[in-house]
Amino acid sequence: MSLPSVADSVEPVGATVGSGPPEEATKRSAGADLWRAIARNRKALVGLCILLFFVVLAAIPGQIAPDDPRAKIYPRGLGPSVHHLFGTTAYGEDVFSQLVYGTRQSILIAFAVGGLATLIAVLVGVSAGYLGGTTDGVLSLITDVILVIPIFPLIIVIAAYERNAGFLTLVVVLGVLGWSYGARQLRSQTLSLRRRDFLEAARVRGERRSYVIVREILPTMTSLILASFLGAALYAVLFAAGLQFIGLGNPNSQSWGTMLYWAENNEALGAGMPYWAIMPGVCVALLGAAFALLNYAFDEISSPALRLRKLENTGVDTEREAKAAVPARPPDPKNILEVRNLSVAYASEHGPVVAVDDVSFDLGRSEFLGVVGESACGKSTLVYAVARLLGAPLAGEITRGQVLFKGRDMVTLADRELRHIRWRDYSVVMQSAMNALNPVLTVAAQMRDACEAHSTMTRREIEARSKEVLRLVSIDPVHLYSYPHQLSGGMRQRAMIAMALLFTPELIIMDEPTSALDVVGQRSLMVQIKELQERLGFAVIFVTHDMSLVSHFSDRLLVMYAAQVAELGRTRQLFDRPLHPYTQGLLEAFPSIHGAKERLLGIPGSPPDLLHPPSGCRFAPRCPHVMDRCRAEPQRLLEVDGELVRCLLHEQAAASVPAKEGVA
Amino acid sequence: MSEPLLRAEGLTRHFSVGKLLSRQRLHAVDDVNFEIGRGEIVALVGESGSGKSTVARLLARVYKPTAGEITFEGRPVSTLRTRRQRLAYSSDVVMVFQDPYSSLNPAYRVTHPIERGLVLHRREVARRTRRAEVENSLGSVGLVPTGQVAAKFPHELSGGQRQRVGFAAALAAKPKLIVADEPVSMLDVSIRIGILNLMSELREREGVSFLYITHDVAGARYIADRVLVMYAGHLVEEGPTEDVIERPKHPYTQLLLSAVPDPRAPLGVSDAADVGEPPKVIDPKEGCRFRARCPLAIDRCETETPRLRPVGRGRLAACHVAEAD
Repeated sequence: MSLPSVADSVEPVGATVGSGPPEEATKRSAGADLWRAIARNRKALVGLCILLFFVVLAAIPGQIAPDDPRAKIYPRGLGPSVHHLFGTTAYGEDVFSQLVYGTRQSILIAFAVGGLATLIAVLVGVSAGYLGGTTDGVLSLITDVILVIPIFPLIIVIAAYERNAGFLTLVVVLGVLGWSYGARQLRSQTLSLRRRDFLEAARVRGERRSYVIVREILPTMTSLILASFLGAALYAVLFAAGLQFIGLGNPNSQSWGTMLYWAENNEALGAGMPYWAIMPGVCVALLGAAFALLNYAFDEISSPALRLRKLENTGVDTEREAKAAVPARPPDPKNILEVRNLSVAYASEHGPVVAVDDVSFDLGRSEFLGVVGESACGKSTLVYAVARLLGAPLAGEITRGQVLFKGRDMVTLADRELRHIRWRDYSVVMQSAMNALNPVLTVAAQMRDACEAHSTMTRREIEARSKEVLRLVSIDPVHLYSYPHQLSGGMRQRAMIAMALLFTPELIIMDEPTSALDVVGQRSLMVQIKELQERLGFAVIFVTHDMSLVSHFSDRLLVMYAAQVAELGRTRQLFDRPLHPYTQGLLEAFPSIHGAKERLLGIPGSPPDLLHPPSGCRFAPRCPHVMDRCRAEPQRLLEVDGELVRCLLHEQAAASVPAKEGVA
Repeated sequence: MSEPLLRAEGLTRHFSVGKLLSRQRLHAVDDVNFEIGRGEIVALVGESGSGKSTVARLLARVYKPTAGEITFEGRPVSTLRTRRQRLAYSSDVVMVFQDPYSSLNPAYRVTHPIERGLVLHRREVARRTRRAEVENSLGSVGLVPTGQVAAKFPHELSGGQRQRVGFAAALAAKPKLIVADEPVSMLDVSIRIGILNLMSELREREGVSFLYITHDVAGARYIADRVLVMYAGHLVEEGPTEDVIERPKHPYTQLLLSAVPDPRAPLGVSDAADVGEPPKVIDPKEGCRFRARCPLAIDRCETETPRLRPVGRGRLAACHVAEAD
């Protein structure tokens, strides 16, 4: 093997999604991203405005309030007027001025309690989660005990003991009792991080434990820490006002709660001074709402699943195109499935991303079709669309085309009708069995759920059938009552396939079912799938990034590149005589255990950004045979010896393709 | 070979499993011996659960061995006492992880682990030249243009690019041995070869040794000089890669080889499905751990654990049935 040179294995970065122009890329930071996200979020903006308003009041009450809040200089119990916006109290003080001056204490309590509670929550939660063992046991016990204490009565007891509790007492009591909820969340987050490789990488690198906790773990949890702070602040504002209202605060302090206390004592509502009683309550509610809104907003910002957009708003007109583009042609009864001109788009922040672009193929009964391509080429989206599994949280939408399954168009099928077909007539095996199986239910329970949802079988029939399908995939039926985690990776995948077989469907869609397995497991699962297929006669669509895996099993191969069909043909022919340069690249990407050792190059570069695909052939930037014409215009699929290929190199050999659909 | 770079002798790691009252010992790695020479690429192959990742973590000092010793450049690792000595070891022996999606901290730019490697292990690099050194490492793993890459966060890079960052971070410490734990198994087939090429290129250019952990024999053949085959915590075969692949001695190695899909071979689904899996070795008894799956098993395999024995030039196999050349 010759010595590889640097130039060969260079991987230029820049074609990846989300990379802007270079100058923008270097200036961006996580902080800037956060601000932009806040500016776009309505809840965050409103919350921030309210909070800012109160912070200003708290900072400079003297400049805003017309009077000293304690100056008893006015007639008692005045109604609202220009001079006294909210009237006066029973003691002749200006209500508005009292409100303004009272803001400071609420804000201070909110931030102080929020800060204190969050500090304790972080210390306890992160140490418990990271150190584990006995430390975790003890800290979790304390957290749980505090969590179940009925806090309000306890605070009343403490506050009553500390009669006329001042500011500091309030902060300490509320802070010490208010951290447990945040600590629980931070602990479980830390637990889930503990096994992440970047922490192990830091330890292997030789970092100290304190560095790992403070600099590696904490920065990944900012949104949780923020949520814990906002939650504690909200609770502090409400509790402090409540305590002061029932007279457990210092009655001479300037706060909304104290105002409520005096208003109540003077029966303000009945005595014609409604604003004295109502306005402090409104302020408490507003400030609380501000914290709550911010909390919701950060939740949305940190978990994108909560801010899905509908495609309708992004400029793709789904309905019209779907109807206009597809000519009616009766499906061939020999085919179990016909996919015609299928396009699927996802909504993204930068506009619609077309993940499947005008894909057509037929699938005969009992046929095995392999769908291959690199990550993000649209192969999974294609089969999800076929199975009608694109709903939330995937947010993809079929924008065009037909999926004719046994002659019926799946695209226009109502959910109710779909339920009759799904699992009985076709089923889906997902990529990761650990995620697809419910961890808290036994295999038996999950099979029972499926049977009950899709059939009227009795319990006994279900059990018999469950054992039967497990035997089909070579799992001893004793494992029927096992939980997923008790099975090995290979057995879980087999169990998934067994579940897919419950109703002996005519089509099984498999999305990389073997990619979590090692070579031996992959091989035996493939052999098993093929045996089952030959015995039971179902058709298979098998999605994988590893062409060699399906080489001995599939009848035909569909090679996808950047959302489009690059090549579609019989498997053996594709391997022996690949037409598309991309297929050739895929074939040359894996080393062999036979023959001379050759130096391989794989396919240099990365697939294009589907948000801005190249205008010409999408493979042109990585293609070793690229010509000027390739970049100039989009390429059509050509028919060469009964195979389809999207490449200009075969223009001469191509039969004249009639302008029928399927070869768009 | 004179003094090897690293030698593992009787390397053993057990884990406690089970409830408080029924404590059992899981034998993840049992009495493993091997050497890694300077500038050598050694592949450690086996199925999931064979203990190969535990070996990686023993070398990287994530775990302490239950028994046995790792000797690095003549010095037993168990004699490392001070933080300075331990740091020196973690600068010499670094690790690249399997999952490129979890091996970079999402809160930092991708340069973070490289910078930390410099701060911890190469104090001589002054603060103001650090940036240049970081870009230098990015360039050396083929991530260009370095200035742009350095500004990115992990989610902005593809899996293959992140794995290259992993190698750049490993190189920042100027290591002598890189333990690469399945560095390509989670990547697309089309970009795996690029990472393998990068590894052999780094060996040529920087003279660094590799322990390449994988379940892919074809990948091992592509870059490794020598191969170690592990099964259920035991080393079962060892030898020059080409020899082992051409004439596997241990039936387990034969099974591994037969599982490699080879589209260049003629079609045909003749091979029987082997649905066996490596056993979880809990409180094991004497006997070959592969015997339940072995087509060649004899009575002796039930009663006596086979030891590694010479079966040809530079070749070892732990099998009662295997014949020498």
